[in-house]
Amino acid sequence: MEGGGRGDGGARDEFFSEAQELVDGLGRDLLMLDEALKRGQSNAELINDVFRGVHTLKGLSGLFGATRMAGLSHQLEDVLDDLRLGRIEMTTKVLDLLFQAVSLYAQILSAEKGESAEPVHDVEQLLLALGQASGKRAGGSASTVAQYDLDPSLLGVLTEYEEHRLRTNLQDGLALYRIRVRFSLMTIDTALDELKVSAKPHGEIITYLPTGAGADTDAIELEILMASRAPLSLLRGAIRGPNVVIEEVQRRSGAGATPPHIPPPTPPPDPFSPLTSVRAPLGLDGASLPSHDSSARGRSPLPTPLFQPAPVASMPHAASAPARGPGPGEVSLRSVSQTVRVDIRKLDRLMTIVGELAIVKTAMARLSERARSRATGPKELAIELGRLNRTLDRHLAQMQSGILEVRMVPLGQAFDKLARVVRQISREHGKDVNLVVTGAETEIDKLIVEELSDPLMHMIRNAIDHGIESGDERMRVGKPPVGTIALNAFQKGNHVVIEVEDDGAGMDPKAIIATAVRKGVLSSYEANDMTPREVLALVFMPGFTTKEVATDLSGRGVGLDVVKTNMGKLGGVVDITSEVGIGTKMTITLPITLAIINVLLVEIGKHLFAVPLASVEEAIALDPAQVRTVESREVLSVRGVSLPLCRLDRLFALERTAPMPSKAFVVIAQVAQRRLGFVVDELIGQSDIVIKPLGKSLKSVRGFAGATELGDQRVALVLDVAVLIEEVLTPGEARYLVQAEGGRA
Amino acid sequence: MPAAHARGRSGRRAARRAGESGTRTEYLAFVLGGETYAVPIAQLAEILKPPPITDVPRAPSPVLGVISVRGKLVTVIDLRRRLRLAEAPTDRRTRILLVESGGGEQMGLLVDEVHQVWRLAHEEIEAPGVLGGEQAVHIAGIGRPAGVDGAVLILLDLRPIVEGTRDG
Repeated sequence: MEGGGRGDGGARDEFFSEAQELVDGLGRDLLMLDEALKRGQSNAELINDVFRGVHTLKGLSGLFGATRMAGLSHQLEDVLDDLRLGRIEMTTKVLDLLFQAVSLYAQILSAEKGESAEPVHDVEQLLLALGQASGKRAGGSASTVAQYDLDPSLLGVLTEYEEHRLRTNLQDGLALYRIRVRFSLMTIDTALDELKVSAKPHGEIITYLPTGAGADTDAIELEILMASRAPLSLLRGAIRGPNVVIEEVQRRSGAGATPPHIPPPTPPPDPFSPLTSVRAPLGLDGASLPSHDSSARGRSPLPTPLFQPAPVASMPHAASAPARGPGPGEVSLRSVSQTVRVDIRKLDRLMTIVGELAIVKTAMARLSERARSRATGPKELAIELGRLNRTLDRHLAQMQSGILEVRMVPLGQAFDKLARVVRQISREHGKDVNLVVTGAETEIDKLIVEELSDPLMHMIRNAIDHGIESGDERMRVGKPPVGTIALNAFQKGNHVVIEVEDDGAGMDPKAIIATAVRKGVLSSYEANDMTPREVLALVFMPGFTTKEVATDLSGRGVGLDVVKTNMGKLGGVVDITSEVGIGTKMTITLPITLAIINVLLVEIGKHLFAVPLASVEEAIALDPAQVRTVESREVLSVRGVSLPLCRLDRLFALERTAPMPSKAFVVIAQVAQRRLGFVVDELIGQSDIVIKPLGKSLKSVRGFAGATELGDQRVALVLDVAVLIEEVLTPGEARYLVQAEGGRA
Repeated sequence: MPAAHARGRSGRRAARRAGESGTRTEYLAFVLGGETYAVPIAQLAEILKPPPITDVPRAPSPVLGVISVRGKLVTVIDLRRRLRLAEAPTDRRTRILLVESGGGEQMGLLVDEVHQVWRLAHEEIEAPGVLGGEQAVHIAGIGRPAGVDGAVLILLDLRPIVEGTRDG
């Protein structure tokens, strides 16, 4: 990472979470812009939002020395400013660039975090494209204005924004009206407001300026330029007054005869004092203005230097994809933010519980005082302690569930990013796809949301690439030309269900079988007696793909198997249903919250147990020659150090259907300097598991932290290593007491 | 199974007749050591074919182990052992009744065989006292469906059964 000393880690973390939030927000706004564009509208407010977001990002990245990000923001700002002022037109092309910028932001952020390489080349490419975009003025639109019989001196004083609004309205086919009103200086404030109110329902007032004509000491004449769909007669009826003259601004015959006069940008007029607005033309030719004249638009000067050109050798994708943004395949949707926004009331609840815990602590102190002074008999002490223990237990459980609740975030966080992916992929593929999202408010553990983004992206990519047909093909089979991908989420008991459903071609079982047989995944003999469901499940096999030509997007044979594996790690299940010609639905079922731990699976007799790897030092083969008995306890010498052994089959009184195997293993566990070797028959392997608590009915059972499902309907108990070490290594009577209580008797 | 079939028909007939008067409670009848027991259907969540059950060492003796039902751990109790009946091997008719045990936890009760649903009116239920002497707390009454000769259902109260197991 370039340059330390940019503030302490905490502030930097905040930078990441804030920047991530801004980038996410940008993505959302861009999607809305895209929607608007599809409907043929432009949304000035949204462009302003995006502009503000980028501006904030620029400031933020400047503050934290993220130069590349600041530079990108700067260039973006120029393009957005041009968009805002109508100097360039909003097109899908421009929008593509903006979307690219959003995904580049994400990459830069993760690079800043040191998680990946900086996308130097991609940024340069985008900067270039952005530069071209902002340099390319909206051609021809100025001439639309020129076709109207407007006083060039009036056009000359329009602010850039006003000019933009004028142009937009004219392009939308609205008529232009000139209203001349004479106001008394005494009443102009109220009279002007009244006029605005009466005009508003009929159109948009573009500007008003004093005409200079007929001005005397107590009256002023304003010329109001208004765009409206209403006919002249209606406007004349609506906007009435003694001194109002309304006329339509006519189109000039022989349009375009006069060269367009593009006015220079002026500072936005103060809305409250229209009369004082500058009339004097600034005398600059707008076309020759440099694209970043920051001071004229009231922007702060760029706080950080622009990019230094990167050495060619360090370009990671030098050969690939000119001007194309990072392909979705290379980019992860995980956010760099580790932050969760929390409702303060949830924290208050936690605070209350902490308060209760403090009460328990006080009671504890009092009890130990009484025990020391021997004021209370051991029996009462035991009762008191038991009561305290139960209270403590309850509060700890509340605390845990409270904290789990704080970790919950709406799935929308992942969905927003997916909407961006859909847009990008469908554009690249030339397929029209509509994403319909329901249940974005469904809450799930923050960690799961993060782990979910990429698998969902794979699934959606798969749906667009393999599922949704081309527009022509869809028309041919009588489907609407625009494909639909539905992303549905809902809670079902302790689980969250996410469905990705497309209305595409569906999966042909015959094609799947043919491919599987050809790839050697399946023998044709096996294929004969498979249920349709089993056939569909084949697509989750590693290396399986039906598309002959690997596309940019999917069809590389990685994807669905990765999805399945990743979901499995989260304790989730992926299911698939499909009907030829109708579509495919993939369903993910996930636990709402999780505690994933890495375990070593071991076997004793026919019993499976999971040992949390966090407390496993190593696992070795048991050499019976190295076992000695010290005070009726087995001790193994490992590299010259004695290690007490614990035979789990005896400790747990396990039944053995088969005789003890000749070869055994020792799993060496360590918790807080105490080491113990668990003797097991077999080491099965490592696994990431979701641990689930045993029910209340098994609360009295000691030595197990919980259990986990292994996939094939089997359940393995997870050892509570700390408790077991304590139990086995506690010397003398206490040990027997504990063991008797544990039910071993 | 013709016998069960006949029982089913007479049960329906009884239900139809009884439908004319008063409120009725639905009970699921099942077999345990040759006797017919029944529990209110409202207390049941599901009937499962037994999946592989994972033994939990050190658990109280009626506990057979744990199973996973759609991602949730469920403790399975051998109802024969819990009611101190003679043990029997499981066969293909063995079922697990999933019951709500309060606190959002579900428990599984292993039974020999599941029979039919009875709709019993209040008059068709005798208090446990008719058996004379002191009765086990888990017996809620005796069901005698009207018009079905010889049908006797031991109605169970699941709460003490489930909670008793919890305390060991």
